[in-house]
Amino acid sequence: MTISPESPADRGPENTVPKNTVTSAAWGWVVRQAQSRAQLAGLAGVLLVLIIVFQIGNPIFLSSGNIMEMLRATTLYFIVACPMTLILVSGGIDFSAGALFATGGVTAGLLMVLGIPWPVAVIIGMAVGGALGVVNAWLSVRLRVPPLIATLGMFFTASGIITVITGGNSIYGFPKAFTDLGQGFLLGIPFLVYYAVVIGVVFWILLEKTSLGYDARAVGGNRAAASANGIRVGRHDFIVYGLAGAVAALAGIMGAARLSSANPAAGGTALTFQVVTAVIIGGTSLFGGIGSIGGSALGALLFAVINNGLVIINVNSLWQNIFVGVILVSAVAIDQARRRRQFSSRR
Amino acid sequence: MNAADRSTPALELKNITKRFGRVTALEDVNLTAYSGEILAIVGDNGAGKSTLIKAISGVHHQDDGQILVDDQLVSLSSPADARAAGIATVFQDLALVECLDVSTNMFLGQFPRRGWFVDRQRMDTESRRFLDELKVTVADVHTQIGMLSGGQRQIISIARAVRSGAHTILLDEPTAALGVRETRHAADIISNLRDSGKAVICVSHDMEFVFTTADRILVLRLGKVAGVREVSATTREEIIGLITGTKQEAA
Repeated sequence: MTISPESPADRGPENTVPKNTVTSAAWGWVVRQAQSRAQLAGLAGVLLVLIIVFQIGNPIFLSSGNIMEMLRATTLYFIVACPMTLILVSGGIDFSAGALFATGGVTAGLLMVLGIPWPVAVIIGMAVGGALGVVNAWLSVRLRVPPLIATLGMFFTASGIITVITGGNSIYGFPKAFTDLGQGFLLGIPFLVYYAVVIGVVFWILLEKTSLGYDARAVGGNRAAASANGIRVGRHDFIVYGLAGAVAALAGIMGAARLSSANPAAGGTALTFQVVTAVIIGGTSLFGGIGSIGGSALGALLFAVINNGLVIINVNSLWQNIFVGVILVSAVAIDQARRRRQFSSRR
Repeated sequence: MNAADRSTPALELKNITKRFGRVTALEDVNLTAYSGEILAIVGDNGAGKSTLIKAISGVHHQDDGQILVDDQLVSLSSPADARAAGIATVFQDLALVECLDVSTNMFLGQFPRRGWFVDRQRMDTESRRFLDELKVTVADVHTQIGMLSGGQRQIISIARAVRSGAHTILLDEPTAALGVRETRHAADIISNLRDSGKAVICVSHDMEFVFTTADRILVLRLGKVAGVREVSATTREEIIGLITGTKQEAA
């Protein structure tokens, strides 16, 4: 028996000569690369066209100041998008991200105002986010509440709690050492961009190189098969949702440092939807198994470019949503077509 | 032809009972599997074959009875437990992840690591080696499972069970989805497993396959063991009689 991608001609019992014995490992590699890069290349193409259009529309678009502005606008979304990618690849979803973002900022902010040293406040803020993420996993693994509902419930609950605690008001008065971390520059580039790069690299390694990432693709690709082969799928969920909660809270804390204030309404549905959308536009499948951190970075960047570019060429920014909507639906349509092509009726 | 070592069973089930609500799927089932032997489990639909496989593979936990591996009592409450006890299962749905490639599927749940990272290279070379041992030609271990035919997937799934280093290999309807040529190839592979000293347990409907490949046959009927026969000392008529209940085992 020869195991190689089956062409329709191979299926008949008479056909004893496999059509594709020429399929060499090298050629297979080329095909695979082309397939896996196709959607990313498409997205990069869209991004490039938009950049050219905006640059023609207004030459300050690609000025270093404006590029910095776009990068800075991307960073917090991208940081939240990293664990979101891991969750979507694992076949889940996290709609609580926006609320855990605010919870992180408010928790750390309140503690700092109470005089707790800022590093301790940051760690506790992340721990609270992580704990709420673990609750998300607990709801879906133990109580069998679908992740969509569990995290949506967490979104409202967490937002509600921090709004009640703060009376809906922003918190001010953080130590300068803390706010500097969100506002400083190194070599003309905001600190925030460095944080995003570090977190992006960490999550790229997690997803592509570690057994956590391999487990994620297996759990998202076929949860029953992953479980039957000894992957502890419940434990996996606890890890990824916990990690997502902690990182969303960290992003919220960075946001608080950048603005010198923590607002219970920060993040919210806008951040949640924008992050999920960026991840999906970046080629991560809503149905699990497939996805990349690089794609999510491009997806997040696309938002910043559209948002910023439309303002710069004097188009009403209300148009932004139309662009995003069309691109989102196109991305999912492409994903569906890809799955149909690869996995259709092979059983 | 029996090279089987009958001194110690590789796997022994004693009085296994499994109920689903008021339905008793398995009642007082006893089973022994020996290294170097293929035990076929046959029975009509609803006889409890799948439940039995699931009890041994850790998917279901029995309500009553004991499972012994090499004379040691084990508790198999998850597929991971079964694996740890040296039992690998080739499920009928094959339990493959379509969007992942051949070598990743071969190592599902047991990814080799070098330090913190998955050792991709070792995964690829070992996958290739195991497939070569089973005389399966693989163009590329990076091929996605979704691109393969049913027979090819079956072979990959069996190869994975071998790779996991298990001493007992369970196969649930290994020939159900296969054509004639593929069935022959699967039978060869399963015979090779026996010859290499594995205890093989095969659930099958396929009498042709059972009589040409297995050494012993255990017949399930309505959740109970209707009889156990050596293939060399029985006939199809007798087995079919046990399956349908027209022939009763003398108690």
